[in-house]
Parts: sequence; structure tokens; C-alpha cells
Amino acid sequence: MKKFAALLLALVMALSLAACGNQNTPAASGSASGSGSAGGEDTKVYNVVYLVNGNLGDKSFFDSAKAGLDQLEADGRITLRTIEMGGLDEDKPGWLSTLYEVSDSQEYDIIICGTYQMPDFLKEVADKHPDQKYVIFDDNSYAGESANVMNITYKQNDMGYLMGIFAATLTTDTSIERINEDAVIGFVGGIDSPVINDFLIGYIEGALSVNPDIKVDVRYTNTYVDTAIAKEYGLSMINDNHCDLIWGVAGNSGNGAAEAAFETGKAYFLGVDSDQELTLSSDLAAITLTSGLKNIGNSLIWFFDEMDAGRTYFGQEVSLGLAEGGVGIVTDKNFATYASDDCKAAITAAEDAIKAGTLIVDTAIDDNTNKVVELCDAVRP
Amino acid sequence: MLQLIFTTDFFFSILRITAPILFATLGAVVGEKAGVSNIGLEGTMMVAALFGSLTTYWSGSWAVGLIVALFCGVLVSLLMGFFAFNLKTDIILTGIAVNMIGSGGTLFLVKVITQQTEGKALASTTSLITAAHQIPSWNIPLIKDIPVLGPILSGHCILTYVAFLLVFLTWVLLYRTPLGLNIRSVGENPNAASSVGVSVLKIKYIAIGFSGLMAGFGGAFMSMYYSMGWSLDMVAGRGFIALAAQAMGAGEPVGSMLSALVFGFAQAFSIKVSSRGIDSNLVTPIPYLVTILGLVVFALVIRHRVKKQHSASALEKAAK
Repeated sequence: MKKFAALLLALVMALSLAACGNQNTPAASGSASGSGSAGGEDTKVYNVVYLVNGNLGDKSFFDSAKAGLDQLEADGRITLRTIEMGGLDEDKPGWLSTLYEVSDSQEYDIIICGTYQMPDFLKEVADKHPDQKYVIFDDNSYAGESANVMNITYKQNDMGYLMGIFAATLTTDTSIERINEDAVIGFVGGIDSPVINDFLIGYIEGALSVNPDIKVDVRYTNTYVDTAIAKEYGLSMINDNHCDLIWGVAGNSGNGAAEAAFETGKAYFLGVDSDQELTLSSDLAAITLTSGLKNIGNSLIWFFDEMDAGRTYFGQEVSLGLAEGGVGIVTDKNFATYASDDCKAAITAAEDAIKAGTLIVDTAIDDNTNKVVELCDAVRP
Repeated sequence: MLQLIFTTDFFFSILRITAPILFATLGAVVGEKAGVSNIGLEGTMMVAALFGSLTTYWSGSWAVGLIVALFCGVLVSLLMGFFAFNLKTDIILTGIAVNMIGSGGTLFLVKVITQQTEGKALASTTSLITAAHQIPSWNIPLIKDIPVLGPILSGHCILTYVAFLLVFLTWVLLYRTPLGLNIRSVGENPNAASSVGVSVLKIKYIAIGFSGLMAGFGGAFMSMYYSMGWSLDMVAGRGFIALAAQAMGAGEPVGSMLSALVFGFAQAFSIKVSSRGIDSNLVTPIPYLVTILGLVVFALVIRHRVKKQHSASALEKAAK
């Protein structure tokens, strides 16, 4: 009976959501989609299954999501089952069958999965189980196409802003070894595309907020796999333009910039997405001062907070920024050692301003004004 | 502008960029001389890069890693030869298969072996490899003190010197040894070679094995010096550029080295130019553009030469 009721409610929710738009920022969508079913009973404990398309222990997205869900479970807000599906090619068929299995069982209120590898499988299963609710993080391949799937993405520009502040404060702090007096920082991007430029626009704006005369050396490798070419770009940035901090946002390629910094001994590296101090080898980790983070765990906690408040976003893409805790930067280890009090204060102030909504970082996504190019030209060394 | 571009580290970077391409180019040269089109160089390099790097990590010695990389290069190539020569598959298709193995296969292997790369969009062994696992560089005594030339020639990875040394050795092999003669005759006319008792199959295996050895060097250079550790698809087309360099150099060791250097120059140039604020979308294609231009020039020269020969022989005939 309880199941039937839940099913009915879910159906009503799905139908009411079908009318909603595709993409929404959380702030704007609160009123549009306040028809959640769980709103009435705030003691509702959700039965959640987390499908890991790999194994835990990646020190990255999977672990982050697990940590968030573990906390929710510890707080008694969800009951959690985690299924590690394995990450090998031979495991991939299993991902689909596992998705079918947990969906067919109808045991779970929410099925959570993530990363770029899952959307095709999820789309197939979600369309056949219109009453089941799904959450997929860090992907927006089919955002808005299935009324029962919520896509969580992360605001790179907010993250970039904090990274920009950090880099711009450090680059003139000559008391630190390797740092030269030139106010030049570097950015190695993968491909000149809206998503990468979204990182960049925040980075430049953040840096400019600290030092209006800052120069940012921007290079695109045009590949995510060629580490060697990124190293060549990194060496050129360090030797030709005196960059002493380089933010690598280019997948594996980005690590080439870290190697350039390591080899020359004249620069530091900044990581992206997850805490790269944990995933790089000891040599490279030692010169990685901080990393821009996508806080998968926090975003899932935010999701359940919203559920409890009666707000749901199924059938939409929700982009989470600093305000929701969706992004941030690493503030322990090397950051704690190298960042001055001024730097920490500037970052906290910016965080507060962005959270309060008094500071809005520009975005490169869906931007037709060519703002990124203008900014790059203005700060070119 | 020119002063800023043509610095010593610019010329240094040309040699560094050229080295891995040069290795693969020499592999292609010897293969092609024996009539074996080894388009699997790219994939062979990736396999060698993976095992070279992993073995160094396990053994703690880059020399052991290098030997394993070379061994893997030869093994993959001989396997390719087995399919192409004994089982009579099309060698181009076999090469394509090897390239696929180089990408997907290494990804699979690294996941099985290290179990470190779960859920990452782009796998790598970067978490394992430190500077201690890398092939060391060599500051050449005396030469390093020469102004201008010193900083360009000294301080390279040992393998970079090996690459240029191998150009000479390959030339010696092809033109000054009986084996070289056999390789060339098998390439030019296998029937004639076999009629005088040369084992065509054996020579072809030696040639493809040699090109695998070169790919092994190239792979080791990529993962054990150029980058710290293996990462997915890290060879990034250098094996294919090598095939173009081989064609541009008319299949001769020295000529092919020069065309590999042209590519290295173009790549280094594009990076230098980007430091002056030229849009990266404009500079990235430079090396490839140079390659295509080089091939066009090469084709024109050949055509001109052939035409001249034709007209010369026609004249001779007319004179008779």
C-alpha cells in the first residue's frame, strides 16, 4: 500500500514536472517546481541506492559522492546501499543490467549515479521506468529529456574565481620560493570551448579583483591526452612569460603543465575537479598548491536538503555553485602552508560575497558577447 | 619578435620534440625499405610506453624499464608480422588493429594491473611515477660550456642522443651491411631476392622487429622522459607523423631525420608563437600544415624528376 502511494505520488510529480523548463538555476526554480511529494513529511527517510560505475577509492568523484551520502545516512536521513559496478570495459554491460535491476525492484526512492559514462545507460532505463527517480551528477548529456532524471552540474566560474584570487595573490609574493616578481599567472586549457572558458572567465575575473594589472597567459592544448604538448606549453609559459602559477584545466594534458613546473623548478601547479594533491605522484603533489573542487558529496546533501524542503528538480539540469557548496577549493595541505592570511581573507570574502549574491561571476556558457576573448586580450602578457 | 622566438631553449625544444618522432621515423624507414608498411607504430609506442613506465615503477630502475619497453615494442611488432606474413592478413588492417590495442588495450591493461584508474575519464599512471623513475638527462662535459651551442646540445635526455646516433647506425645498417642489402632487395623485388636464396620471410621479420625496437625507444621516451608515466593516448599521433616524415624523406634515414626535424621545428615554432599571444586555434595546425606542405613539395619534386627521366629516355630513343 505504501509503495502504491509512493508510486502514485511520484507519478503526479512526474506529470507536474513535465511542464517545467529544461535548465534552471536553483534560485530561479524554487517556485516553479515546488510540487514535491515528500514536502509534507519532513521525517521521510529516503531509500537510496548509489551506483558506482567503477570502484570506490578513486580519491575523486566516487569517494566524494560516497562521503556525502555516508553523512546523510549517519544523520538518519537516508538508508544507503552502494553498489560498486567496476570500471572495466567488461563491467559495462553490468552497469546497464544493474540499473535495470535496481529500477525493476522498485525498492528505492532515489537512484544516484554519475560521470560522463552513465547518461546513455541511464536514459534507456529511465525512459522505461517513468515512476523511478534518478539523479546523475557531473553530466548534462540528456538534461531535461527525461522527466524523472535530475542532472547536477557544477559552476566552474565560481571555482575559477577563487582560483584566480589565490593565484593572483601568490604570484607577487616573492618571499615564497620559486615565485618571481612578475604578476603573471598561467592557464592551460584543453579546448577553446564554453566549458573550459567558464573556468577561465572566473579565473581571470578573480585575478583581476586582486590585482587590476595582472597578466594571464592563456594557452589551449587542443587535446586532453597529449601530456607532452602541455608540458611544452608549460615550459614556454614559464620561460618566456615568467608564469609562476599555472592552472591546468585540460584532463590528463594538464598534468604536463605540472611536470613543466616541476622540471624547471620555477613554478607551481594548480589542480582541477578533485584534490590533485592526492592523485598526483609525490613529486608533483609537492608543487600542487591547491585544486579547484567539484564537491559531489555536498551537492548530494544539498539535493536532499531541497527534497526535505519540498523542492525537486527532476527533469531539469541544476547547476550548483559556491552558494550550494557545489564547488570550492582545497584549503588544507599545501594551501594552508603557502597561502598568506591576506590571501585566505580575500578568498573567504569572495566566497561570502558570491554566496550572498552580491558578487556574480560571469559565465562563458551560453554567452554570445565574446566576453572571454575580450578579457583574454586585456590581460595578455 | 624574432629575437624572442629564436632563443636557445627554442632550439633545445626542437630536438626534444623531434626525438620521439625520429625514433618512429627510423622504424618506418627500415620497415618501408623491406616493403613492410608498419602503420602500427603509434599503437606499438603506446604499449611500450605503458610497460616501460610500469616496469620502472616496479623495479625502481629506468634501465630495466627501458629494456622491457624495447622488448614490448619488438614483441608487438613481431606479432603484427605473424598476422601479416604467416596468416596473410592485410598489413594495413593489422596495423590499424595494433593502433586500437595501443589505445583501448593499454587502458584495459592498466586498469587490470594497477586498479588505480577507476572512474577517471582519462586513465594514467601519473600517481605512481616520480622523477626518480625517469630516464636521466646528460650534461655533456666541455660542450655544455660552449656559448649558444652548449645550452642547445647539452642537457638532453640520453635517449635524445640515442635517437640521432641511431640515424647514423640505421644508415650503416642499410647501406654498409649484408643484412641491409638483403632488406633493400626484399623491399625492391622479393622474387629476385628469394631466387638468390634470401629468406624473404626472415628479412621481413627482422625489418618489422627493428621498427618495433624503434617504436619501443619512442614509447619509452614518451612515458619515461617526456611525461611522468603513461597516460591514455599519450603518443597522440606521433607515430603517424613519423610515417609522413618517412615519406617526406624519400625513405632515407638522413632525409627522414631532416623531415622529422622540420616537424619538430614547426611544433616548437607554434608553441613559441603562442607565447606572443597568437590565438592557439591558429598555431595548433602549424605542424600539420607543414607536414602537408612538405608532402606536396616532395610529390612535386618526384614528379619533376620522373618527367625529366621520361623525357631523357625519350630523347635517347629518338637519337637512336
